[in-house]
Amino acid sequence: METQDVVQKPARTEPAKSTLPQPGRPVPSRAYPGALIVVEGTDGSGKSTQLYLLKRWLEIGGYRLHFTEWNSSPLVKSATRRGKQRRLLTPTTFSLLHAADFADRCERQIMPLLQGDYLVLADRYIYTAFARDTARGCSPRWLRNLYRFAPVPDITFYFRAPLDVAVNRILSGRPKLKYYEAGMDLGMSYDRAESFRLFQARILEQYDKMVETDNFVVLDGTIPVNKLQKQMRDIVASKIDLKRFAPRAEAAE
Amino acid sequence: MPDQEKEKPAPAAVATETPAAPAPPKPASAPEDAGQQYFFGEPLVGFDPSEITGSLVVIEGMDGSGRSTQITLLQEWLESEGFAVQTSGLRRSNLVGRDIDELLAKNAVTRLTLALMYATDFFDQMEHRILPALRSGTVVLADRYIFTLIGRGVVRGINRDYMSGLYAMALRPHLTFWLNVRPETAFGREFRKAQAISYWEAGRDMSLSHDLYWSFIRYQTMIKREFEVMAKKHNFIELDGEASVSAVNKQLRQRIAEQLGIRSTKYTPSSALSHLWR
Repeated sequence: METQDVVQKPARTEPAKSTLPQPGRPVPSRAYPGALIVVEGTDGSGKSTQLYLLKRWLEIGGYRLHFTEWNSSPLVKSATRRGKQRRLLTPTTFSLLHAADFADRCERQIMPLLQGDYLVLADRYIYTAFARDTARGCSPRWLRNLYRFAPVPDITFYFRAPLDVAVNRILSGRPKLKYYEAGMDLGMSYDRAESFRLFQARILEQYDKMVETDNFVVLDGTIPVNKLQKQMRDIVASKIDLKRFAPRAEAAE
Repeated sequence: MPDQEKEKPAPAAVATETPAAPAPPKPASAPEDAGQQYFFGEPLVGFDPSEITGSLVVIEGMDGSGRSTQITLLQEWLESEGFAVQTSGLRRSNLVGRDIDELLAKNAVTRLTLALMYATDFFDQMEHRILPALRSGTVVLADRYIFTLIGRGVVRGINRDYMSGLYAMALRPHLTFWLNVRPETAFGREFRKAQAISYWEAGRDMSLSHDLYWSFIRYQTMIKREFEVMAKKHNFIELDGEASVSAVNKQLRQRIAEQLGIRSTKYTPSSALSHLWR
């Protein structure tokens, strides 16, 4: 990874007008002072472990940061739970409910924090919705429109692991797959493990398609954890001006 | 959603004897065609629109335009004519209807999240209530449709293309009526109902005025302007919502009778509904 494309952002000034998400146009990273780092990949690709280690590294260094996860807002939790338990969700409503959840997080956490000069780390982002909902049959054009309000990440790490590796990691550690998680709603197989495998294969295919179009930084999810983390840290340090997020001198006691 | 008005069959062209089909049947058409012909832009995943045998009749209009009253009366009339009727409306889905009520009560939600929750509510009803009914030959009377939802988002500054793109897989109604009233008239009617005007009806989240009356008028006027744009684009049948209940109902019955092939449009409400007939 070359070092010249460090994100150099203008000095912080009061924005002339609201830069809160404006549905209809993607929010470019120069619209706010903070920086957004995203990890994506199929279940079992190692992305969450790696993002956790990156977060620890930055936390120990004292950088201002916030960590956010896909599907964590209390707002739609009850609806999502109800929909999943009673199996009310169709590909369309599944997608919309997650979009509502993301919009809430985006408008109330991600954008204000980016505006407030924070490093925001996101475990899964809109690409999860693109991959998973397209795999469920939703129209890609409709999905791209749905998430048009989301800020464009400064770095999107895509942890790529071969299907067998990723699926075996999940099946060995989490024997009870949930209905939607296994893609049972698609009716591909009555066997949950087999359905999960087929669903993940479709998702992987969708992720691979986005590598070019969405500027993914592809990392090999099969190499040892510490080596992979070293790569990830090097890329972050080369692409983001981390000094900007270091503890402020005047704030130190 | 480009070019969608092109495929829309002109309502005037519907002959009296025409069975309730949205357009000349084109079985085995490509998904792109189905997207434009039956839906506003994109086909709905896992649904074959050629199975539709019922009719979707939408009644739009602001709060206080008389929508609910007219739907109650139309349901009785249609049932007396032997048609099965299903109704739909905002916030009535099993999936998120109650959640939206709670969000509104707490006023703890941003405009975009609210717009997407309403979209979830809409498509849950589309897939679990409206389409199953239409497949079984039922007449669906929709108390508001995507137009209200698009209008509300747009007046709150959400991009118009974004809002209509969100509803690209909504089924095109066979008939869309717009009960057009002046906001001043609607205010009086709404106030009499509850002796108050609600926070959301008055668009109070938009900080238009601290005066409740002016907030209501300005908000509903903005929505009305959006409706004027959509009325042309989507061939709304505009009715004067200021007219008497019986006069509006007569016009509704005439157009629906044409659509369904009902010969007689005579109707007098039963004693249970006679209080609505003013």
